[in-house]
Amino acid sequence: MNKIKILHMYADMLDLYGDSGNMEIISYRCRMRGIECIIDKYSIDSPQPNFSDYDLIYIGGGADLEQQHISEDLSKCRDGIEAAYRRGTFLFLICGGYQLMGKYYRDADGTDIPGLGLFEYYTIAEPNRRKRCIGNIVIRAQLAGKSVDVVGFENHGGQTHNVKTPLGEVLYGHGNCTRSSHEGYFEKNVIATYMHGPCLAKNPEISDYIIGYCINRSNENAELQQLDDKLEKDCRQIMIDRLLKK
Amino acid sequence: MNSILIIIGKIIVAVLRLFRRNAGNLPGIVLWHLTGGKCCRMFKVDCPVIAITGTNGKTSVTNCIAQLFEQNGKKIIINKEGNNLDTGICSLLIRHCSIGGNVNADYLIFETDESHVPVVYSQIKLETLVVLNFFRDQLDRNGEMETLIRKINGFCENFEGNLILNGDDPNTARLGRANQNNKNVKYFHAKPYAFATDTIFEASEGRFCPFCGEPLEYEYYQYSHIGKFSCKKCGFGNYEPYITAENIDLEKSVFTVDGHEYSPKLNSIYNIYNMTAVAAAAKLYGIPKKITDNVISNYTINNGRMETFMLGDRKATLNLAKNPVGANMTLRVMNEMQTEKELLFVLNDNIADGLDVSWIWDINFSVFDRVARVVTSGTRAYDIAVRIKCSGYPAEKITVLPDLDEAVTELAKNEGRKFVIANYTAVQPTRSALKRYADKQGGKHE
Repeated sequence: MNKIKILHMYADMLDLYGDSGNMEIISYRCRMRGIECIIDKYSIDSPQPNFSDYDLIYIGGGADLEQQHISEDLSKCRDGIEAAYRRGTFLFLICGGYQLMGKYYRDADGTDIPGLGLFEYYTIAEPNRRKRCIGNIVIRAQLAGKSVDVVGFENHGGQTHNVKTPLGEVLYGHGNCTRSSHEGYFEKNVIATYMHGPCLAKNPEISDYIIGYCINRSNENAELQQLDDKLEKDCRQIMIDRLLKK
Repeated sequence: MNSILIIIGKIIVAVLRLFRRNAGNLPGIVLWHLTGGKCCRMFKVDCPVIAITGTNGKTSVTNCIAQLFEQNGKKIIINKEGNNLDTGICSLLIRHCSIGGNVNADYLIFETDESHVPVVYSQIKLETLVVLNFFRDQLDRNGEMETLIRKINGFCENFEGNLILNGDDPNTARLGRANQNNKNVKYFHAKPYAFATDTIFEASEGRFCPFCGEPLEYEYYQYSHIGKFSCKKCGFGNYEPYITAENIDLEKSVFTVDGHEYSPKLNSIYNIYNMTAVAAAAKLYGIPKKITDNVISNYTINNGRMETFMLGDRKATLNLAKNPVGANMTLRVMNEMQTEKELLFVLNDNIADGLDVSWIWDINFSVFDRVARVVTSGTRAYDIAVRIKCSGYPAEKITVLPDLDEAVTELAKNEGRKFVIANYTAVQPTRSALKRYADKQGGKHE
């Protein structure tokens, strides 16, 4: 039986706009296929796990206050997370999780919160707290050679710069910066994005890209069984039609 | 100048009335523009002003506090229609003031949107502010909750009036420290009820002490993050309650405050907190016990908050849910019923709902007990269907019908008990659809 081990970090603190729903969706889609899905949680002051034991590390988004709280703890995990990432563990990062893997996050008060520096990008929060990138967002991403239109909901003051390999091209909404052309960050084992909603709710292709990647680590020939995604796809299509006005 | 503005306002009201339009907000919007955003400044208010704010329960608590004074023979002005922004309050006062801007009443009692507390009460002198709770709600309209609390905190820093705070909500109780010189801070508190838990049951926020960053410790959680909390490091949460609800028994629908037993009609822990806030206001203003008892015991609402409809011979209960806390509450009530039931969930994403619907993922659907079928409707009917499906509920038992009349007809098709959850802008259309169906069947609307 195929198996996936997931580490959900700071679930009790970083959980905005249904981010924890992503874990519910991954585990649901594994369950429907008979893939065993183990989700361990890690939070401030938990004993340090062996990060490389995991196929997937997931971090959601939070408000500035929560982000300050976890940044110190996260820095203690730096070596473990980096080693896991180099060995092929998948990193799935939303909003705050996305920002904290970059070089730094400068919050609205001008205070720098150091990131883990795994990637070259950095984030500067818009000093005016009222000016946020808020709303529905549609992006066109390339996943496993296939073009897929992805719908989510963004709400961030942070402006993320210096992203070399974005997740997709913005068709509607803001993306990495206010009215920017691109959204998120992508590598074969990294998806980092501002999309909440939760991100995976109406985008089964992203879920399956992640699940497929994870099970292929131990079993190269494993194939994902197709699920009935009619509800999810109808849900997304309605939003795409509405936002892009057909 | 003031008089000219007021006359303009009154003319707009008159014109709107002539065309039978609701004058709840438009006059205020026009005056807002004419006054450069200070549309509440032109009124001369000599009487005490009481404002009620918070995420959930504003309307109930405002109406109850108004009744306390009304039944005590006072003349009050209240924004009953829930026009709770500066423009709504301005529109209301325009209708009730003289050309000189004098407002004639014994008390003004205003439900006030959280983000508008500093806006309105920098222009009108406030005597008492009641803050009920802060939950994630319409976050994308207001920015993050922390921003919102900071705004109200900023207002409280210079406020020396009465501050009635929910002492069991850390997000609310922290306002009590905004102004160390304010001797009029009063906390209301409730002892644990039968379903209080040791660990948190529903998604929440405010896990950390806002003053020193330590994790907050809880003796018990009533629901969401509401409960007896304290910070072991700085002592945040250790206050002497002004008023305490005790002996809460939801089966008998009773609770005690200051030795007096109340029997509210609306039976939920939620409502107990609201009524405790009402009791606190009653105590502060020396309202006779008999009147307080009468208000708390008889208060009920017909606006989609636990409202009952008869769909032919099938009973349906409609409840508004603006956020996960509200929806979880309905699911609790639904599960406590030991029979098979069906659920209609109506989800809209209009501007007033906050365009974002991701809060549905914080609803705990895995507790579904004996739910035979689910129908979903509204502008985001598919989102709620996907959400319920991913909680493990069989997809084949979910029917998506964005059209409300079709959805209600579908819901009424089978025998059994029905529950309906609708979010903010969905609740009125849902009520209408349920009424239409009930009328067609000759059923009665309770």
